[in-house]
Amino acid sequence: MLRFIAGRLIVGSSVGLTLSIVTFFLLNYVIDPAQAIAGEDALFEEIEQIREQYGFDRSITVRYFEWFSGIFQGDLGISYYWNKPVISLLIDRAPETITLALMSVSVTILISIPLGILAALNPNSLIDRIALGIAVTAQAVPNFWLGLIMILIFALAIPIFPVSGDKTLFHFVLPSIVLGASSVPAVMRLMRTGLLDVINADFIRTARSSGFYGWRLVFNHALRNALLPVVSVLAVQLGNKFGGSVITESVFAINGLGRLALESILGADIPTVQILVFVFAIIFLFFNLLADILNAYLDPRLRL
Amino acid sequence: MSDLLNIQNLEISFQSNNKNLKTVENFSINLNEKESLGIVGESGSGKTLSMLALTRLLPKQASVSSGSIIFQNRNLDELDNKNFYKEISGKKISMIFQEPMTALNPVHTIGKQLLETYLYHNNVSVEKGIERALEILDAVKLTKYKQRMDQYPHQLSGGQRQRVMIALALINNPSLLIADEPTTALDVTVQKEIIQLISDLRETIGMALIFISHDLGVVSQISDNVVVMKNGEIVEKGKTLKVLEKPNHPYTQGLLDCLFKLEDEQKKNQIKDTPIIKVKEISKSYKLPAKIFKKPEIIYAVKKVSFDVKFGETIAIVGESGSGKSTVAKIINGLINKDEGKVEIKGQNIEDIEISDRAKIIQPVFQDPYSTLNPIHTIGYIVSRPLTINQNRSESEVKEEVIKILRLVGLSEEYYNRFPNQLSGGQRQRVAIARAIILKPQILICDEPTSALDVTIQSQILDLLNDLKTKLNITIILISHDISVVKYFSDRIIVMYNGEIIEMGNTNNVINIPKDKYTKRLMSSVFSLKK
Repeated sequence: MLRFIAGRLIVGSSVGLTLSIVTFFLLNYVIDPAQAIAGEDALFEEIEQIREQYGFDRSITVRYFEWFSGIFQGDLGISYYWNKPVISLLIDRAPETITLALMSVSVTILISIPLGILAALNPNSLIDRIALGIAVTAQAVPNFWLGLIMILIFALAIPIFPVSGDKTLFHFVLPSIVLGASSVPAVMRLMRTGLLDVINADFIRTARSSGFYGWRLVFNHALRNALLPVVSVLAVQLGNKFGGSVITESVFAINGLGRLALESILGADIPTVQILVFVFAIIFLFFNLLADILNAYLDPRLRL
Repeated sequence: MSDLLNIQNLEISFQSNNKNLKTVENFSINLNEKESLGIVGESGSGKTLSMLALTRLLPKQASVSSGSIIFQNRNLDELDNKNFYKEISGKKISMIFQEPMTALNPVHTIGKQLLETYLYHNNVSVEKGIERALEILDAVKLTKYKQRMDQYPHQLSGGQRQRVMIALALINNPSLLIADEPTTALDVTVQKEIIQLISDLRETIGMALIFISHDLGVVSQISDNVVVMKNGEIVEKGKTLKVLEKPNHPYTQGLLDCLFKLEDEQKKNQIKDTPIIKVKEISKSYKLPAKIFKKPEIIYAVKKVSFDVKFGETIAIVGESGSGKSTVAKIINGLINKDEGKVEIKGQNIEDIEISDRAKIIQPVFQDPYSTLNPIHTIGYIVSRPLTINQNRSESEVKEEVIKILRLVGLSEEYYNRFPNQLSGGQRQRVAIARAIILKPQILICDEPTSALDVTIQSQILDLLNDLKTKLNITIILISHDISVVKYFSDRIIVMYNGEIIEMGNTNNVINIPKDKYTKRLMSSVFSLKK
C-alpha cells in the first residue's frame, strides 16, 4: 500500500511539474506582461520601462525558474492589480471557496447516493423514475439560472435564507445546493448502475445463499464494490467545485477564489491568474490522487 | 433413514412478454438424510432452476407456480422469506456454484467472508468464529490455510477459490449441500481433487448432497441415486448403477451412447510419411506491464516447442488452461506472431506465404460458436466470405457452392438466409466448420471445438469432423483439454505444460502408459463411468 502511494505521488508530482511549465509559458507568451501592467493605451517607452523595471526583459526560462522556486519559498509573486502579495490574496479568499466546495459536495452526496441506492434496489419502479426525473432536470438546468430561482423563492418569496454574502455558514446553504445539484445526475446514475451490476454479481448470489438479505446484504456485501466508480467521480467533482465555482460565487456575491479568478482575468493580473490556474490544477491532481488511494483501499485488486 | 427433503410436483414458470412459460414441470424428488443425489441434464433442462427454487435464489422473472417442498418435516412454503434466509439458507441448506472466480466477494478477505457467514448464523464470540473458520479451511485442505485468512480472492487460484467456497458453504454444518457443476470451470486435474474432497466431506460431516452436472461420468462417481432431466421434466430416476446399466428412457440411453462411443475405435486417414507442418523451436513471450522501480517481468506462453505433423494425420495438443496450447495453434494459423523459431507449411516458411494463399491451406474452428459468428450477417454470407474474398466467382456459383458445403456439414438449404441467433449451438458450430472447409483447406486447426456444447451435440460435431476428415483427407490439429475426445479422435498426442511439450507420442501409448508425472495425473483425472 505504501509503495502504491509512493508510486502515485511520483507520477502526481511529475504531472504537477508539467502543469507549472504549461501554465507559466502559456500565460507569458500569449500576453505581454509589461503591456498588461501598463494598460491598453500606454506609450511604447512606458511599456519598455516597465519591462526593465519588472525584469521582463530577461529570458522566459529564467523567469520561470524564478517563479517556480519562489512557490516553494512561499513567494507567489506580487499582484499588479491588487498591489498585494498573491499569497495573502489566496489566504484571504480560500476559506470561502473551501467552505462552498465541501458543503456543495456534501449536498451532492446526500442527495445522489441514497437516491442511487434506492433506484438500484427498485429498478423501473416509481422511485427509480422519480430519481431519473431529478437527474434529467438537474442536468438540464444551468447553474446561474437555478441560483437566481433559488434566491427568488427561498430568499425573497419565503425569506428563509439570506440573498447573498458570505458572513455565516447560513449564507452558504443556497449556493451549496445550487453548486451541488449540478453533480447529482452523474453521481446518482453511476451509483445506480454500479449497484445494479453488483446486485446481479455471482458473489451476491453466494451471500444470498448464505442467508444474507435486505439492508445487511446491500451494505455489507454490495455497497463497497459499487462505490468504486462513484469515488473516482466524486473526486473529480470536488475538484470541479473549486475551479468551477466562478459563476455561483458571482451570483451569490461570495468572495472566494472563483471570484478572485474572474477579477484577476478582467484586470489582466498575470501573477494572480497563473497562480490560480496552477492551484486549481494542483487541487484537481490532489483529489484524483486521493480517489486512487481510496479506491485502492476499497478494492484490494487495485493495490499493485 | 428418515426423509430429509421431499419435493412434490414443483412447477417453475418464467414471465416473458406477459406470457407464462413453464420451464420446470412435475419435478418431484425425495432425499434421505446423508443420501447423495445426482441431477443430470443438458443446459436448459431445468436442473439448476429447480434447485434455485429450493434455495429461493430464482432469477426475478422466474417464480414457483405450484408444488410443495418439505424439508426436515417442515413445509417450507409456510416459511416467509425472512425466516427462510435466517433459518435455512447457509445454515441447513448450502450451495456451491460453477464459477469460483466470481463467486467470492473481491473486496473482502477470505477470513472476513467466512467469519461473517459463521457469526451471522451462530451467536458466538469472534474468537470462536476465527477458530471455526480455521478449522473449516483446514478441512477443505487449503494449503497454508492460516495465511489465507488475510488474503483476498484474487490472490488464489480457481481450485483454491472453490475450496474456500466449499468452506463457506460448510462452515455452519448444513444438512444438505447443493453443488451446481462445481468443477466445470476448473482444470481436469483440479476437478478430480475437488470431487474427491466433496465426497470425503459428505462422509465426515454426514450431510446429504445434491450434485448437479452434465457429466454422467462425474455423477456416477459421487451419487447413490440419479435423476435425469430433459426440457424441464424428469425423464428417469433411480439408483445410479441401475440407471446406467439399464436405462429405461431413450434420452438416457442416448447420453450413455455418446459416452461409450468415445471409447470406440475411430476412422483413420491415410497418413503419408512426409510432414505437412514443421514447427521448430517456436517461442512466444509476453511482457507484463512495467512497474515503477521494477524490471518488467517476462512470461513465456510457449517455450521452444518443436513438432511435425504428417499429411493426413490428426494430432491433439492437450493441457490445462495457461499451458500454451492455444498459443501454439494461433501461431501455426498465423493469427499471432512468434518471437523465435520457424513454422513451415508444406516446406514453405509461414511468413513467406501470402495471407490469401494461407487461407486456402489452413483454416481455424474455434471454441465458442455463440460469439464467433457475426450476428448481423446471414449464414449464407458468413460461409461464402472466404470464397468471395479469395476467388473470383459469379454469385450463383458461390451460392451453389455454399449450399453444397452446408449440406456436407448436415444443414439444409433453408439455413442459407437465416441469422446466427436463429440457430442452436450445435448448428452454429456446423456453420463455423462449413466456413472453415469451403476453401478445401488441407489443414484444420480446431481449438476446443466441442467444449462449449452439450454432450449429445458434442458427439454429433465430433462425428461430423471425423466424417469430413476422411472425406476431404484433412490434416487436423485438435486443441483440447478433454481426454476422451482426444482419445476418440487423434492419432498422436502432444502434452503441454507451462508452455513446454512434456510428452509426445501415439494416442494409445500416451493414454495407457504415460511417462511424465504430469501426464499421469492428467490421465488419471478422467472420469469414466463407474461400474
